[in-house]
Amino acid sequence: MDILKSIYEVSWFILLIAAGVAALEGYFYSHFKFYARPWFFPAALSVFPALALAVFGTLLGGYSFKLWLYFLLAEAAIAAFFRFAVKGRHTVPYLLLAPAFVGLALLLVYPFVFEVYLSFHDLKLTTIMMWKNTGTLPFVGISQYIKVFTTSPLSEITFWALLGRTLVWTFSNVFFHVLGGFLLALMLNNHIRFKGVYRTLLVIPWAMPQVVAVLAMRGEFHSQNGFVNIIIAKLLAVFPFLAHLGVAPVQWLSDYPLLTCTLINIWLGIPFMMVVILGGLQSISSSYYDAADIDGASYSQKLRFITLPLVRPVMMPAVTLGTVWTFNNINVIYLVTGQSGGTEQADILVSALYKAAFTYNRYSYSAAFAIVVFAMLFFFSVFYLKSFDAAKDER
Amino acid sequence: MSAAAKRKRINHLLIHAGLICFAAACVYPLLRIFSVSLRPGDKLFSTDLSLIPAGATFISYARLLGDTMFLRWLWNSLIITLATSFIGVSLASTAAYAFSRFRFPGKKAGMILLLSSQMIPAGMLILPLFLMIMKLKLMNTYLGMIIAYSVSSLPFSIWILKGYYDTIPRSLEEAALVDGTSQVGAFWRIILPLTTPALSIAFLFNFTTAWNEYLVARVVLFSAKQYTWTLGLFELQGQYITQWGMFAAGSMLVTIPVLCVFLYSSKWLISGLTLGSVKG
Repeated sequence: MDILKSIYEVSWFILLIAAGVAALEGYFYSHFKFYARPWFFPAALSVFPALALAVFGTLLGGYSFKLWLYFLLAEAAIAAFFRFAVKGRHTVPYLLLAPAFVGLALLLVYPFVFEVYLSFHDLKLTTIMMWKNTGTLPFVGISQYIKVFTTSPLSEITFWALLGRTLVWTFSNVFFHVLGGFLLALMLNNHIRFKGVYRTLLVIPWAMPQVVAVLAMRGEFHSQNGFVNIIIAKLLAVFPFLAHLGVAPVQWLSDYPLLTCTLINIWLGIPFMMVVILGGLQSISSSYYDAADIDGASYSQKLRFITLPLVRPVMMPAVTLGTVWTFNNINVIYLVTGQSGGTEQADILVSALYKAAFTYNRYSYSAAFAIVVFAMLFFFSVFYLKSFDAAKDER
Repeated sequence: MSAAAKRKRINHLLIHAGLICFAAACVYPLLRIFSVSLRPGDKLFSTDLSLIPAGATFISYARLLGDTMFLRWLWNSLIITLATSFIGVSLASTAAYAFSRFRFPGKKAGMILLLSSQMIPAGMLILPLFLMIMKLKLMNTYLGMIIAYSVSSLPFSIWILKGYYDTIPRSLEEAALVDGTSQVGAFWRIILPLTTPALSIAFLFNFTTAWNEYLVARVVLFSAKQYTWTLGLFELQGQYITQWGMFAAGSMLVTIPVLCVFLYSSKWLISGLTLGSVKG
């Protein structure tokens, strides 16, 4: 019965969305088609604001005169825009784009703007009921931003410590992803047997659902039942002298949480780099290597002067992407260190942000935090892409 | 045997050895889950490393399917994911066509918006989406989840599909237009059927993203009946450490189909990924 009910619920919702898309298309189509008619303005201004009020009234807080006035003003602006600027040109592409971009505006741009709004106001557990009922919040200026830099998002760790840890985390992960990926790609890029089998097996960490992979690996780092400590214990039994070198089973999850997360994430991330780099290697024409062989170049010379420069253009976007992904990786850290009561020794910026919002319920604080993180990431990306473009132009 | 051939052989042996080590490291955790899922209830925490444990049994699977709501969780995930992917791919297919075939003011700005949306930290939008869903009174429902997921893969899907449309010669549609079909008709009857491979990649991408999602589900869903499988598995492993066997069984049941689909489609998925990233 439940199954039927859920099918009914979801198909009803999809039909609703289809109707919404149809209404949207009709709305824009009428503006594209009739913008020049003398009755365009009176008709648009009388029909659409009233319709909008009827449809969105309850959602946006009651059928008030004020709301109708807003719709009227908006419609006047849109109608004027269509009449004097668009003039019915490019109808087809805009109609094709409309649903996707309205979706993006509602679920990507609007939340983003809302996050900015939140960061200047004070939303926390004590004010959330007020916000639910009245829709307004106390304005607090930039004090949330000041708090980001002066107080801890969790219980003790500071913003700066988190930033440093995030940089270490990102750098070490990306470094080993690229190193491991490169090594594996070089090995795979030979004429060897079972190449396809190796390739298939090597992408498994990437192909597994991340939640399963991370939780399973977390189990492997368990101090008693985990595979890692079992192997260490067996090694010690066979080679007792290792104990003098400091090799001993450790409490991975409670004593070295960040190291554990890093090891798990390196394991997860190598296959992607490997596949991208392998694609790059396979696109290098063998004639370069033949020519180098005739000149008597050594393996390391070929690697340095042929392989690396030619793989670079394929690798750089993947490295950028990998850096942003690693920087933003909440999944691994959250799944390994658990939620409330978990350790904060492994938290990086984004996971602290998530915990501040949903474990500690400091909504506005975490909004300001998110804006700061976004700004950092944005400047990094712009700067990085610029320098990459500049390097391209030089060549 | 000449010296060069001998060296080559040794090289290949070394490469095989290296690859076998790495491949073992990649596969071993999966095999371990498999082995744990077969263990009888009293041996769950043994330090045994053998692949098929002594007294192997399917009891964990039976208990998982019988005692927990695992099937229900799978069903929840499936329906949310299917609806999300359907909406995402339909919106992306038309938008990508507009970007591929038409020149219009705002085209470049639109493409830049799509690209820069990839820079927004995933965790950043969870809070406002959570508050929106709360305000719409859709907490703990499928609809809330579908709303939260539906556009997350949209920019990437548009990007992939645009790349694919660009490879289809325009002359095909032009011929149809000469024959008197409308622009929309040409898109519907000629372009869409031709792009089935790209559409399925986009669908797959949307599907896996939503299927494996955890963080949004964590904050939107709070009753065990509405959980997606990711939440359910976390619950099995996180809270009751005694349910390790059921966790392993559940992991196997979820992973095997995903793995098959991924390996089957990896060639196309990867070409799509690299295409998007190289151009970006």
